[in-house]
Amino acid sequence: MGSLKSFIKAVRKAKTIADERAVVRKESAAIRTSFRDATLDQTTRRINISKLLYLYIMGEKTHFGQVECLKVLASPRFADKRLGYLATMLFLDENQEVLTLLTNSLDNDMQHPNAFIVGLALCCLGNIASPELARDLYTNVEKIITTNNTYLRKKACIVAAKLVEKDPDLSEFFLQKIPQLISDKQPAPLLGASKLIQSLYYASEENRPALIKTIPSIVAHLKRVTTSGYMPDYDVMGTTDPFLQVSLLSTLRILATDEQCPAEYLEQVNDILTQVASNLESGKNAAHAILYECVKSIFAIQSDQSLKILGVNILGKFLSTKDNNTRYVALDTLLSVINIEPLAVQRHRSTIVSCLSDGDISIRRRALELSFAILNDQNIRVLAREILVFLEGSADSELKPYATSQLVIAASKYSPNDKWHFDTLIRMLKVAGNYVTSDILSNILALILQCNDGELKKHAVTKLLSSCLEDMSQFSLSLITIWAVGEYGDIVLGSNIEVNGKQVLVDEKKILQLIDDLINNSTYSENENVQLISYILTSILKLSIKFKDSQSIEKLRLMLNSRTYDSNLEIQIRAVEYQEIFAQDAKLKKGLLARMPAPPVKERESLSLNNSSNKKTKSSSSHGSAGTSTTEDLLLDLMDDGGNAPGASTTQNQSDLLSDIFGNNGSTPAAASQTKNSAILDLFDTAPSVPAPPPKSSSATAIPAFNNDNIKVSFTPKSFTQNGQALIEAQVDSNASSVIEHLQLLIAVPKTQKLSISSTSGGDSITPGGPSIYQVLKLAGKEGAKIKLRVKVKYSLDGQVQEDQFDFAGFSQTL
Amino acid sequence: MSIHFLLVLNRQGKTRLIKWFNANYSTQEKQRYVQEIHRLIASRDTKNQSNFVEYQQLKLVYRRYAGLYFISAIDGYDSELSYLESLHFFVEILDTYFNNVCELDLVFNFYKLYAILDEVYLGGELQEILKEKVLERLAYLDKLD
Repeated sequence: MGSLKSFIKAVRKAKTIADERAVVRKESAAIRTSFRDATLDQTTRRINISKLLYLYIMGEKTHFGQVECLKVLASPRFADKRLGYLATMLFLDENQEVLTLLTNSLDNDMQHPNAFIVGLALCCLGNIASPELARDLYTNVEKIITTNNTYLRKKACIVAAKLVEKDPDLSEFFLQKIPQLISDKQPAPLLGASKLIQSLYYASEENRPALIKTIPSIVAHLKRVTTSGYMPDYDVMGTTDPFLQVSLLSTLRILATDEQCPAEYLEQVNDILTQVASNLESGKNAAHAILYECVKSIFAIQSDQSLKILGVNILGKFLSTKDNNTRYVALDTLLSVINIEPLAVQRHRSTIVSCLSDGDISIRRRALELSFAILNDQNIRVLAREILVFLEGSADSELKPYATSQLVIAASKYSPNDKWHFDTLIRMLKVAGNYVTSDILSNILALILQCNDGELKKHAVTKLLSSCLEDMSQFSLSLITIWAVGEYGDIVLGSNIEVNGKQVLVDEKKILQLIDDLINNSTYSENENVQLISYILTSILKLSIKFKDSQSIEKLRLMLNSRTYDSNLEIQIRAVEYQEIFAQDAKLKKGLLARMPAPPVKERESLSLNNSSNKKTKSSSSHGSAGTSTTEDLLLDLMDDGGNAPGASTTQNQSDLLSDIFGNNGSTPAAASQTKNSAILDLFDTAPSVPAPPPKSSSATAIPAFNNDNIKVSFTPKSFTQNGQALIEAQVDSNASSVIEHLQLLIAVPKTQKLSISSTSGGDSITPGGPSIYQVLKLAGKEGAKIKLRVKVKYSLDGQVQEDQFDFAGFSQTL
Repeated sequence: MSIHFLLVLNRQGKTRLIKWFNANYSTQEKQRYVQEIHRLIASRDTKNQSNFVEYQQLKLVYRRYAGLYFISAIDGYDSELSYLESLHFFVEILDTYFNNVCELDLVFNFYKLYAILDEVYLGGELQEILKEKVLERLAYLDKLD
């Protein structure tokens, strides 16, 4: 085996990774073998350990050298000890069991007359102390901490801090040394003392009162350092002793934020912070580090108003520097300060905004976050403009979805008027339409739907149209535009819009042209395209009753027809369904293709009566178009809570309407609800001439199972996978005139099957006219078996316990 | 509260110094971290970007000196600026000790590099702030060897 140098050279000489691996493996094996030799001499052992160290740096396994390290460090020679400790600190950590073998050596070395050997042992203990080692050896550290040797004292302070972190019970031994340690005037031991105070503070609450008493001494030290003037030894680029100042400041911060900190101390802290902050010449990193620590303290403790403003101003100054690091911390701190001092932060708005165009993405991200944080109803116009500029100019695709979502939320919160709101959103769609998430999209659609002002609606739709004509590469813009054109094509027909500075008349041809262009646009991804085409198809269908010119209508029909051969199933199904509707007579279509109602706003819904009656008529028209799956999809898209809303609470309503529309049921509004529900079943069973009902709604049809004066139970087959598993949703409605309470559904199945019931949606009571109760049943059994349920319903009505029992086997599908 | 780990990597991602002050990482994690950190930092633009980058729950404070990256990992709430300054302090000592330090010095004298590290940091804490004192002590220790 060669020397360390020749080994390093051999590794470096390796041309390929494979060569290097070969050298490393060979050497590693040789070291292993030599360690097994009981007569190994100390020199070879040292060389081997050195080589192992090199292997460690390269990320190789070194665990087999752990015991050897301990052997080397037990040697009386200083050089051996040094290498041994060095290797021990790297190869071992507090989780290793061999650590116990180290206790004795550390104990001996910490009592060694040579200060450097004591230093090595202290250093080792500080790095890899385990709680056991801490308990075994703290007395040694306790002794060293009071020595006159500053070199050892500073080390002992830090080691003590580490030991207290490992075992908080040791605090009592070191706590009593604090007054002496903190009166030290030399920077290095003071630095260690400051660290020890922090560790003791976090170790136990009992330590805190004693530690708070050190505040005056820390303040005095800071005062001494800041006023001492030039000290060449401790000078870092013109700043005196920045590390000590930073450490003292952070210790001060921890102590002064404690609830028990007396007011007089707080005052002292306030004073010293002011002094430190105003005495420093900024410009260099070291000075900025101190100022930064100061500012952090200012906002952490209860400080004066003037001090807080000074703090924000320092950050403002930081923002205007050229140094990226300083700007980064300034933005970071401002973000945390915004809640404490919103007004002071507002003053730096222009600087913050200018950071939006910074070269560093992490600075841009913080500036963006901060911009949204300072946004309010006063500055929304200015800031929204800046954010739009950012969206337009930047290439940060990861920040854009955040920016668009936040902007939409902010705009709906603070928008000065509706017109501005629409204009901003449309502009956002135009500059960042490819970075809008789907929930934000549906928010915007809902906003258009909810707009009651005809003029404004027209303005919004024309604006969308002109933006889209100018730029078709923005997916969300195209999607919303095509949807709006389908819904509101009639109100924009015949108006003039401006496209790229030219006046353009919106006529049927123009719209046809737009649809055609969008269909042929190839800048979107596969998924986006499918979504867009689906929207376009709906739009085409809706336009078919809005266009007057028979030629244009024919073109619409042709566009629709061409999609009935689409390779995408979703589109094809949709196109075929629409084709059927397209061929219906105008009267029926008018009802089917009426405008979408505004989606219900949750807050309003429960608040005003007036609105709820409005809602009824609206929701009926919504179900007028429920025969087409797209509109239902749209509705689902629009309502955040999607889920089971349309199919659930309105089932009754729906069946009624459906039968009205398709006209094969004579049920009058007065008819009993039972017949209504069966009517919908009839409808689907016996209506081949009806435009294909979407499979979705048929699978979600509730089958009535039980109905009496008090309650109504129905089951909805959710999924029948035909492999012995089924999901069924039970729905319980109230027929009673008062509240039904403590409702319980007990269900039994044949012994060969297994049933699990989820907990109910909502609670266990139904108010008359209130939401129904849903419960999901999961069935498992033999494949092909028929489903039979025996159901017992328990509830209390008007304080009386009622019980109903019935059998149900009404599912056409089997397990 | 203190440095979690300290790394010196060259631009190719070879480790020149690695010291874990926090014992809560497994061997696999350590290896993965080094690779990921190299990728993260080497891809950053030194001129236009700050010397701080978030990594998992930590913040990396790094600085490039010629072909070497000096990286220390600290907690999110710790002061980035002062840890950056302390890295520079460490490098200045290396520079004086090796008399215009270069990567090869660190490769062949890695044990000295660790010895210097142990005089500057203890358990992830800065323990000495006087350059002369550190250098004096190192010179004395070398005599003892």
